[in-house]
Amino acid sequence: MKTEFNKNAIVYVFLIPILIHFFIFQLFPIGFSLVLTFMDWPVIGTPTFVGLENWKQFFQDKLAWKAIWVTIKFSVMYILPTMALGLVLALLIDSGRKASGIFKGIFFLPVVTSFVVISGIWAWLFKGTKEGFINGMFALIGLEPQLFLASSKQALWVLAALSIFKVCGSTMIYYFAGLQSIPGEYYEAARIDGANKWKTFWKITFPLLLPIHFYVGIITTIGSFQIFDSAYLLTGGGPNYATTTIVYYLYQEGFNSLRLGYASVLAYILFFIVFGLSLLQRKYLSKDVSYK
Amino acid sequence: MAIRSWPLYLFLTALSLMFLIPFVIMLLGSFQNIEQAIGSPSEWLDAEFTVQNFIYIFTNNDFARWIFNSIIITIVPVFSQMFFCAVLGYIFAKKEFPFKNVIFWGMMAVVMMPGQLLIIPRYIMFSEFQWINTYLPLIVPEIWGIMGVFFVRQYMMTLPKDLEEAAYIDGANDFTIFWRIMLPLCKPVIATVGTFSFITNWNDFFTPLIFMTESKMYPITVGLASMLSREGHFGIEMAGAVVSFIPTFLIFLFFQRYFVKGIALTGMK
Repeated sequence: MKTEFNKNAIVYVFLIPILIHFFIFQLFPIGFSLVLTFMDWPVIGTPTFVGLENWKQFFQDKLAWKAIWVTIKFSVMYILPTMALGLVLALLIDSGRKASGIFKGIFFLPVVTSFVVISGIWAWLFKGTKEGFINGMFALIGLEPQLFLASSKQALWVLAALSIFKVCGSTMIYYFAGLQSIPGEYYEAARIDGANKWKTFWKITFPLLLPIHFYVGIITTIGSFQIFDSAYLLTGGGPNYATTTIVYYLYQEGFNSLRLGYASVLAYILFFIVFGLSLLQRKYLSKDVSYK
Repeated sequence: MAIRSWPLYLFLTALSLMFLIPFVIMLLGSFQNIEQAIGSPSEWLDAEFTVQNFIYIFTNNDFARWIFNSIIITIVPVFSQMFFCAVLGYIFAKKEFPFKNVIFWGMMAVVMMPGQLLIIPRYIMFSEFQWINTYLPLIVPEIWGIMGVFFVRQYMMTLPKDLEEAAYIDGANDFTIFWRIMLPLCKPVIATVGTFSFITNWNDFFTPLIFMTESKMYPITVGLASMLSREGHFGIEMAGAVVSFIPTFLIFLFFQRYFVKGIALTGMK
């Protein structure tokens, strides 16, 4: 007869080291970051306890609120187009079965490409002079050249366009999976009832994708609140803080101004927002739509 | 919802061209001796074809070193993730032990918190450990991941219990069962974990930006970004972009279906 240890040897051999790893690199840092919000922690010099000072400062910090506002504006520009484009692409590849693999691959390519590579290309596409590709195209059809990244009105739009291009391939994948789980009989029934394609889409496809809409909506929103790479690479938060997002501001405060305590407050603000959104997701996802 | 064929394909082709244009510009630009402009078509057509840009990036930058760094910080997590996620997936799917579900769902909940919450405390910890400008801060925290464990667990839970029982009766222990029976059956899901880990680590920009402050230690993402902000020469920049894009592209070509699966499962962008 085997002893209790032998029966579960594999559990103890692997789980214990992994739990220690989890404690050191996940759990401890999260607790530590809460402590940091009550500390003044310059990178060089001694940390001091300052109580609620950092939190008070956050509520008075106009730039922090501006960063939150910029992030919300970005989300508004980005979420719906990403979802809509993802759905359109999914519908297209779902109907074009023959070559759908190739098209799926092409639409998916930006998802696997790093932000740095795409930003490198984007920087030249949207150069705010006649040398920029888009301005070159504008010139051909007689439109005025635009400032794009150098304009505080347009820069955030360019970042949103980049993110939509980068991410809609993954939204497409969720919608594609959703479309394939809708049973064919529904379409069969609609056809017999003489419904046209437009009607079939709005009465059957779109409502039956409801759980996917919620899921995609929430993860896209969570992603948009964590936007950093493109703001860092393309605009450096400017012009005039027009593209300073929450995470970009956190990076600035933490690693340029070296105020780690205050940056931790910003990290917690981000956490509260993302946590709130996740709760919404859970609330709505529990109302799963059943097909049968 | 079958749409009539040829207009559909026409539309799909037009859309995919829009998606491909940035990549085509990158590729064409990398082989052209072109200073500033990409706007005027005449300059594009007149520019001479050259491989000088590629020679330049390797001779005037730490480019080869950046690629080497990226390989190190990618390959180690890819293989250790495949291994640890497989073992832990097996443990959480098939074994019984105290607090199993509390541990598993507790870890899942913690990982749902945004990564930005970790970066500052980790920065302080790794400074104390003297890990800044070493590979360790980019490798050690990444050697396993609860999402990978989750995939493997979900997959293994669907495998019938009879398989293990037969092996137990034949006298096999856990390690043999894991290695000989479970692992071979889980190849697709483990490939998903590996592919996903490759792309995430290869493309990561934020983490190395914080933990690597010496140019020699940059991975290709941070290195390329530093080159982009310095050069101002279109051909050279695009050559850099092409070289850093190739590994992702190859992995994508060969493991596309695993990567698509990973995206659908994690909810990552």
